[in-house]
Amino acid sequence: MKFQVNRDVLSEAVSFAVKLLPARTTLPILSGVLIEATSEGLVLSSFDYEVSTQTKISATIESEGRALVSGRLLSEIANRLPNAPVTFETIDSRIHVRCGQANFTLLSMPVDEYPTIPQVEGETGVIPAEDFAAAVAQVAVAASRDDVTPVITGVQLEISGTNLSMIATDRYRVAIRDIPWESRNGDGDIAALVPARTIQEIGKTFGHGGNISISITSKDDRELIAFTADNKTVTSLLIKGNFPPVKRLFPETVENYAVVSTSDLIEATRRVKLVVEREAALRFTFENNSLTLEAIGGEQAQASETIDAAITGPAQVVVSLKPDFLLDGLGAVHSEFTRIAFTSVDNPGKPGPVLITSQTSKESNSENPYRYLLQPNLLLR
Amino acid sequence: MSQQPSGANILHIDMDAFFASVELLDHPEAVGLPAVVAHNSSRSVVTSATYEARALGIRSAMALSMAKRICATVIVLEPHRGLYTKYSAMVMAIFRDFTPLVEPLSIDEAFLDVSGARRLLGSPVQIATEIRRRVLAETGLTCSVGIASTKFMAKLASTKSKPNGLLVVEPENTLAFLRPLPINALWGVGAKTAEVLKRRGLHTVGEVADTPVTSLVSALGESAGRQLHELSWGRDPRLVSTERSEKSIGREHTFETDVRDDVALKAALLDQSARVAGQLRHAGLEARTVGLKVTFSDFTSLTRSRTLSDATSVGREIHRTVVELLDELKRGSRSVRLIGVRASALVEEGGQAFTLWEDEDDAWRDAEIAVDQVAEKFGRNAVMPASLMRTMEETRESGIPG
Repeated sequence: MKFQVNRDVLSEAVSFAVKLLPARTTLPILSGVLIEATSEGLVLSSFDYEVSTQTKISATIESEGRALVSGRLLSEIANRLPNAPVTFETIDSRIHVRCGQANFTLLSMPVDEYPTIPQVEGETGVIPAEDFAAAVAQVAVAASRDDVTPVITGVQLEISGTNLSMIATDRYRVAIRDIPWESRNGDGDIAALVPARTIQEIGKTFGHGGNISISITSKDDRELIAFTADNKTVTSLLIKGNFPPVKRLFPETVENYAVVSTSDLIEATRRVKLVVEREAALRFTFENNSLTLEAIGGEQAQASETIDAAITGPAQVVVSLKPDFLLDGLGAVHSEFTRIAFTSVDNPGKPGPVLITSQTSKESNSENPYRYLLQPNLLLR
Repeated sequence: MSQQPSGANILHIDMDAFFASVELLDHPEAVGLPAVVAHNSSRSVVTSATYEARALGIRSAMALSMAKRICATVIVLEPHRGLYTKYSAMVMAIFRDFTPLVEPLSIDEAFLDVSGARRLLGSPVQIATEIRRRVLAETGLTCSVGIASTKFMAKLASTKSKPNGLLVVEPENTLAFLRPLPINALWGVGAKTAEVLKRRGLHTVGEVADTPVTSLVSALGESAGRQLHELSWGRDPRLVSTERSEKSIGREHTFETDVRDDVALKAALLDQSARVAGQLRHAGLEARTVGLKVTFSDFTSLTRSRTLSDATSVGREIHRTVVELLDELKRGSRSVRLIGVRASALVEEGGQAFTLWEDEDDAWRDAEIAVDQVAEKFGRNAVMPASLMRTMEETRESGIPG
C-alpha cells in the first residue's frame, strides 16, 4: 500500500475516526484506525462493535492495500505534521509516514483480525443538517448519564409523517425538539433510541449545511442506525428497551404562565446560584409582574434578585427549581423571550412541572419546535 | 477568629466502659467483678467490658467464648440498647449546659470547646471537674476528661487519664507528652500504616516528627504523609463542630452457625436493609452509598460499597445493592460468620428532586413508610417481607429466641 494525501484532510479524517472510539477498550485491536486504499480513494474507519465511523477522502493512490494502526497515535501525529503532503507506505509489517522532513514508522496491527464494519443499505429518510445539529444541542443535555437505566441515556428519535421528534429525559426534565423529516421509503412511524454521547458527536461534526441521510435497519436482532453526510458515515447500535412515554407528560394547553427576557433570567440565575451548593434549588416567586429569585437555606450566604415578568394567571406562583436544570432549558430556547408555563398535576403533595418554550416577543407566542418540561422540587419554607 | 488556639480549651470527654457501666447500674452485685456486655450465646461477641474484665485481657469485639476461656466466672450482662441511648442523651445534655460547642463523636464521647465559657464558668479544669461531678451525681456513671489545645491532643489526654480521670496537656507540654507515645497513638495509624512506619524504623511519635515530611509522603502518600507529620508535632487544625451529621447507619448480624446458603444470606440482608432504611427514614436521611460487610468462618473480613445515582431510604433499593455486592464477591463455597449492611454518605431527605413520573421505587418508598407506621403501632414483626417469614418460623421451631 502506498498513497499520498493532503495533510489537513488527513488530520481531520483521523480525528473524527478517533473521536467516537471509547477511551479504553477491552480489545486492543479496536483502538486501531483502519486505512483502506483502493482505486476509488482512501477510507479511514473505526469500530468498537457499537459505533462505527467511515470517512472517504481523496488521495493519490500508488498501490492499493489495507493497514491498521493505533488510532490515538496516528491522530496525534497527524495533528502535529508540518504543512506538506503526507506519504504512507507499507514496508514489511511497518507503515512509514513521511511529511516534509518528518518520518514516522508505525507498527501495523493485525488487519486480518479486524471485525467487519457494518454496511448499511437503503435510505430511510433525510433531515436538514443544521436543524439536526441545533436539535441535538437542545435536547441531549436532558439525557440521563446514569448507566443504571440505559433507556434514558439515549436520545429518542420518533418519526411520524414529515416530522422527526428528538426526545431526552433524566426523569427530572424532558426536552423535545421537532425537525422536518423527508421520508424516502414510505410513511410508517419509526422510533430509534440512539446513545446520547454518540448523537452529540454526530451533531457537532455533521452540522455544516446540506442534508443528513438516515437509515435504520434491523438485522439479526440488532438494530442499527446510520447517519451519512458528505463523505462521512457513522453507524450506531440502538439502545434496546422502551423509552418512557414522556410525550404525554406535556399538557395540551396551559393557562397560567409568565414571559421573561431569556438573557435577564439566565444572568440572574447564574448570579443567585453562586451562593448555593451544587444540587440545591433556588426559589422563584412570580408576582406583580416581576420574578424574584432567592437562594435560601445556604449557611454561608443568601442572595436574591428581581427581574421583570409578564404574568398571565394567578396573583402569585412560587416554585423551587434547580438552577442548572433551568439554565439548560433557557440556554436552548434560542429566543429573546421565554415563556414559563405552570402546569397542574393531580397529586396535591407534588408541585406541577413548569414548561419552558420560546417566545419571540412579550406578546406573541411563536411556533414551538422546542419544549422543555422541568419538575420543581418540594418547596421548603 | 477570636478563639485562642494557644490555650488548652478543648475537652474530650469519654464515658468509662459505657455500656458495661450502664448495665452495672441495674446489677450492683456485679460491681467490682469482671463483667462483659454480650448476648449470652456461644457465638456472640463482647460489646463492652468492665475495667476488672479488661485487667484480665478481655476486650470489646472479642468472641464471648474467648472471654469465658480467659475468665470462666465472667459475668455476662444482656445488652439494653435503649438504655444506652437514654443515658447518652442525659450526659450530652449536661455537656450542653456548659457550652453550646459540643461535638458528639459517638454514643459515649464528645468534644467540647469551652473557650467561650471561661469567664462565666471558670478555667477548663474547673469546668471539667464540675462536668464530672454532675455526670456522676445525675447518672451514677464516671467519665474521663482530656484537656488540650487541639482535638487530637485532648483525645490522647483522656485516653491516658482513663478510667475516671482528668488530664490537662498544656500547649507547652504537648511535645513532651506526645513524643514518647507509640506511633499508633496518632490518628489514622492502623495496623497497615504502623507496619509501613516500623519497617522504616519509626516506633514513636517523636521519631515520626523527626522524619522529613518528604519521606513520610513517599511512604504513605501525599495526604496521609502530611497529616501524620502535622499530628506528630501536635498540630490539628480541626475545630469543634456542632453540625449534626450522622456518618453512617448500619446493621450487622453474627449467625449462630456459619452460613453458606445464598438464600439465607440474602434473607438476612433483606431484614438488615429494611431496618437500616427504617432508621434512615426515622432520622430524615437518605444514603448515597450502600456497603456490605462479610466476615468468613476464618475471621477474614471484606467490605464492599457502591455509590448510587440517587440517594435512597428505600429498603428494597438498599437490599438490591447489597445483593449485587454479595454476588460480585465470588465467595465460592466459603461460609459466612457475620454479615452486615451499612448506609453512608448521608444527606437530608427531600433534597432529592421529585421526578416527573413515578418510578417503581417511589411506590416502594410509600409502601415502606406505611410499614413503618404499622410497626410503630404493632411492633416490628407485624408486617415483614414474606421471604423472612420462613426464617422466623425455623428460628422458633429450633427453640432459639429470635
